[in-house]
Formats: sequence, C-alpha cells, structure tokens
Amino acid sequence: MESNLPTYSTPNLSKAETSYPLLRVINLSKQYVRGGLWRKRVSISAAAAVSFDIARGQTLAVVGPSGSGKSTVARCITRLERPDSGHIFFEDSDIAQADSTYLLSYRSSIQIVFQDPVTSMNPRFSAREVLEEPLLLARSALSSRPGRTNRLDLIRSQMAEVGLSPDWTDRSILHFSGGQLQRLALARALIVRPKLLVLDEALSGLDLSTQAQIANLLLDLQAAHTLTYLLVSHDLALVARLADVIAVMSDGRTVEVGATHQITSRPAHAVTQNLLAAATASAARFAALARPS
Amino acid sequence: MDGPNPIGPNPIGPGNDAPNQYFLDIHDLAVTYSSRNSPPINALDGVSLQLRTGEILGILGESGSGKSTLAAALLRSLPSHATRTGGSVFVGNRDLLQLSARDLRSLRGREISLIPQDPALSLNPVLTVGSQIAEVLRAHLSLRVPQRRERVLLSLREVGFDRPQEIYSAYPHQLSGGQRQRVAIAQAVACRPSLLIADEPTSKLDATLQAEIVELLQRIRQLHRTAILLITHEPSLLAGFADRIAVMYAGRIVEVATCAQIFSRPLHPYTAALVRIAGSSMLQASTTRVRLPAIDGDPPNPTAFPPGCRFEPRCAERMEICSRRYPTSFLPEPSRPVDCFKYGE
Repeated sequence: MESNLPTYSTPNLSKAETSYPLLRVINLSKQYVRGGLWRKRVSISAAAAVSFDIARGQTLAVVGPSGSGKSTVARCITRLERPDSGHIFFEDSDIAQADSTYLLSYRSSIQIVFQDPVTSMNPRFSAREVLEEPLLLARSALSSRPGRTNRLDLIRSQMAEVGLSPDWTDRSILHFSGGQLQRLALARALIVRPKLLVLDEALSGLDLSTQAQIANLLLDLQAAHTLTYLLVSHDLALVARLADVIAVMSDGRTVEVGATHQITSRPAHAVTQNLLAAATASAARFAALARPS
Repeated sequence: MDGPNPIGPNPIGPGNDAPNQYFLDIHDLAVTYSSRNSPPINALDGVSLQLRTGEILGILGESGSGKSTLAAALLRSLPSHATRTGGSVFVGNRDLLQLSARDLRSLRGREISLIPQDPALSLNPVLTVGSQIAEVLRAHLSLRVPQRRERVLLSLREVGFDRPQEIYSAYPHQLSGGQRQRVAIAQAVACRPSLLIADEPTSKLDATLQAEIVELLQRIRQLHRTAILLITHEPSLLAGFADRIAVMYAGRIVEVATCAQIFSRPLHPYTAALVRIAGSSMLQASTTRVRLPAIDGDPPNPTAFPPGCRFEPRCAERMEICSRRYPTSFLPEPSRPVDCFKYGE
C-alpha cells in the first residue's frame, strides 16, 4: 500500500532512525480567506507553526481555548483541508500536499470522529447503511474485499465491539440516542481498520455518564487494536485522563508540547497555566464540597 | 452597579402578596408529548419543586431527563404537540397555568425570563444588540426613548461590559460567543425579573468563559435577589454555586438537597454515581489511562418507562421491590426527599 504513495526526502528524519513516529507534524500552517466578492478579502491564520509527533499506540491531545486552531489541525491531518505549508508525515510519507488519488488509499488509515454525530450522518440512513458506506468507499484500500454477506458480518461485529446491539443494524439512525450515535460514529471510523483515529471534540457535548462510557470504550479499543489517537479537546481535565502527550495550542501555534504529567504538574507557558488554573479551580471547588462535613 | 434601581421594586414580584414562603411552587407537574407515529412520551411525571426568593436552584439531569421540558412548562412555551396532563405552577399566589394570554405576556420577560442555551440562535442577526434589549423594556415599561437607552446601557454595564456604548450599536455577529451570552443575560435581566430560568447557559462556551458566566449569574442574584433556576447536565457547574440541587432522571425528580449534601453525601444511587463520575473527571495528578466509573446501560425508553423505579435497570443497589412500583418520595432526613426504596417502603 505504501509503495504507490509519494515519499519525500526529509532533512529532519534520519534514515537510521528505526522507529518513526506514526505521525509527525512539522511547521504546519493554514490560512483561511474570508470575504471576497463584495467585501474586502481578509486572510485569517488559523494554524501557524504547528509541530508534534505521535508514536504508534499513543494518544496525543491537542488542547487550547476556542479559536486556537485545534480543529484546523485535525482537518489538515485528515486532509479534509490542504495545509498551506509544512509537513505531515504519516508512517514514512508526507501527505501534506498529496493529491486526492494518492490520498484515497490513505483515507482508511486515518479516520476522524466529529463532535456532533447527528450532523455527520445522513438522517435517512439505517445503522447498516452508515457502516456500509466506508466499506464500499475504501474497497480499493482494504486488504480483503468483503462481499455482501461478509460486509454484514463485519458490520454486526463492529457494532457489538462499540457496545451497540447487532440486532439494530436496520434501525434508522433517528432512533438512536446521542450516546449511541457517537458509538455508531466510532464504529463507522473503525470499520475500515484505521491506524490513526482523530477525535475532534468527540467527547464534548455528551452527558457525563455517556462521556465516561465513551472514554472507557476508547481505552478498550486502543488496547485491543493498538490504535493511535489524536484527541482534540478544550477540556484539559478529561484529556489528562486519556492522553500520553499533550500539545497546547494558542492563536494557531503549538506553544507547549509535553508528557501529560509534565503539563499538569509543571506547565511552562502562560496559556497552559491558564487552562490548568481553570481545571484546578473547579477540582478544588468540587473537592471542598465533596468532603463529608 | 451603583445608584438606586431606576425601575423600582417589581410590582408583581414576590414578597407583596405571596401567601407562603415560596415564590415559585410547582406541584405534581406532568407533561406528555404525543405524536401520530409513536406512543406518547411522558416527559415530566409528578414533578414538584419549590423555590424561594433569591435562591439558586440547580436542575441536574442528563439529556432526555425532561429538564428542558420543565423550563418550557414554566414559561408556558411548550410546543403544540405537548400537553400538560396534570399539576400546577404557582408564582406568588397566582396559578401560572390558568393565566390569560394577556397576563402571560406581561409576566414573561417581566417577572420570569429565560436565558437561552445558544444566544447565536436567539438574537436577531439584523438588529443591533441595543435595540433588542430595548425591545424588552418597550414591551413592559413606559419609558421615554433616552431613558430606555440609559436603561439598556445600565444593563450592559451590569453584565460586565466596560464600554456599553460600543456594544449597544454592535450586531450579534460582531461579538464573541461569551459576549453574546452576556448580551442575552442583559436582555433577560433588563426588567429585573424575580425569576431567571437559565437553560444550559454555558454549554456552548469553553471552561474559562463558563466560570465567568456563573460568576455573573451569582452577581445578578446578589444585586437584585433574583431567583435562578439553572438547568444543566454538568454537576461541576453547580458545585459551589447552587443553593439547592434537584436531580432529574427519566422525567422525574429523584432527589432534592442542598448543594453540599448532594456532593458530600448523595442519597439516591443515581446521584451517587453521577457525583462519583464528576469527581473522577476532575483534574488529578498522574491518572492517565484509568477507566472512569461509568454507569452501565442507557436511560430507559421514554415511550415505555418501567413500572418500577426508572433507574432500577442500571442501579447497582437494586432490590426486588424496585421493579414492582415507583418509590414515591421518602424523607430520610428533614426536607430531603429521595425517590428510592433504600429509605423506606
């Protein structure tokens, strides 16, 4: 599969290095242009100088205040957007500027789950149709091409794995609750056996008990399939429980990247300190109350 | 804010004619949604709540628990396919549910107002912020134009804008999410209502802004003794903010207690599980890749609630009796109703 993808020579990566990170992002930048036609064109820098590595089987969390460019990074890595400059090395190829033909074989390796499962699914679809679509689209990239009965088996076992009853395959997605839809969205991403799963605020907006269920599910899936996660979130407390490495973003830049315990115990940058202060304050408020009087 | 209240005390507010100590008294409220294609949904069932003047009551519930239906019922703005199947709502000594349309209009926005979940949707995009706040004042008070403008500016200053003039003539799209929520609050408190209903007011904001909005609501309560009904699914938002908390599950209030009691000594198993999850999702040192204490299963199907306790299928402490009938409120401690057979039969 890798053979037909473009490989770029890279000064930053030595060939002697035996274990590449699964994903290496170097100096990624992306500008959006607003206006045009009647209004003045303004370009807005959503990401500038974003760099980090994710090792295989690890979880990296991108945190930052809203508008810091977290989602832009997620969209560039999944190549829903083409970055203006910088490198995105996935395994050993730079996919930052790769064209759509090359990307097709990559789509199944990098999957994304969005915040709102309702708007990311066709409301007329049944659970089976939701899960079948990626199987059909990724046919050329999958090692085995599942036939019709095979696909149904795959769909049923994938639903079971994310904690949905396999008997619900023909149920319209309108009959699923928010938490169940997010499980279905996870199943849709996982059914093509990705190596990297990007979760763009996939845990926010859920009820607390559902959020805990999905977080536990993510941990189980990661252990079962050696999945690599890129977690985009504004919730530092939640992310600290799931991530090995945290990258803090502010105004489109990664201002601090470090191991989770390092970020939560010795934050170096002011933005990190602010995020941490908010999380610590609410933890302290909570602890003060929860202490039996 | 400084200076005297230019509007004066609320003429129909609490304290003037309330026969009891409660300003809002909800008794046995039930609401059903009906549709042609599916069986009716009992969104609210036997909900009773009391609210004192100037009290902050948190309604804690997950999606589908009926908390937003409760807010809509209090404003009598339920959608047309919803019917109130029982109960009463007293504001002061008047039954809200018996008011004429005209009386209701003079009550909404004047005595009870709503802070919406998403101000980006509730603000009119083609009108300036100032004119939208002025609209509320025009509907309820006879003020001259310059006085009205003064009042709007005062409201804007109250919600924390240092330069209210600039915000007055701004359009909603020119403001950030946090600023828009402040504007919505300014609009809601412009007439000095005695009850504010805030339906998930911070769910669209990030952590630091959430804290600011909660502080602002607290300040408004201190300034005007406004009672606040804060509806949320986030226990940590209520910690240290609400005076009392009512926990809702599947259309029923399962436990009511003070904030400290709920967090330090929850009595209902559902509350206990929720507080445990909330506590463990707080920031802790070196806890990477540890499973959270989740509640197994999903909330029950609202078209077919189990005959017994609605939390029973997911409850770790269920007993034989739990699936047979609903545990109506027991009082294990004074003024602390809990719907659970652990505390009586």
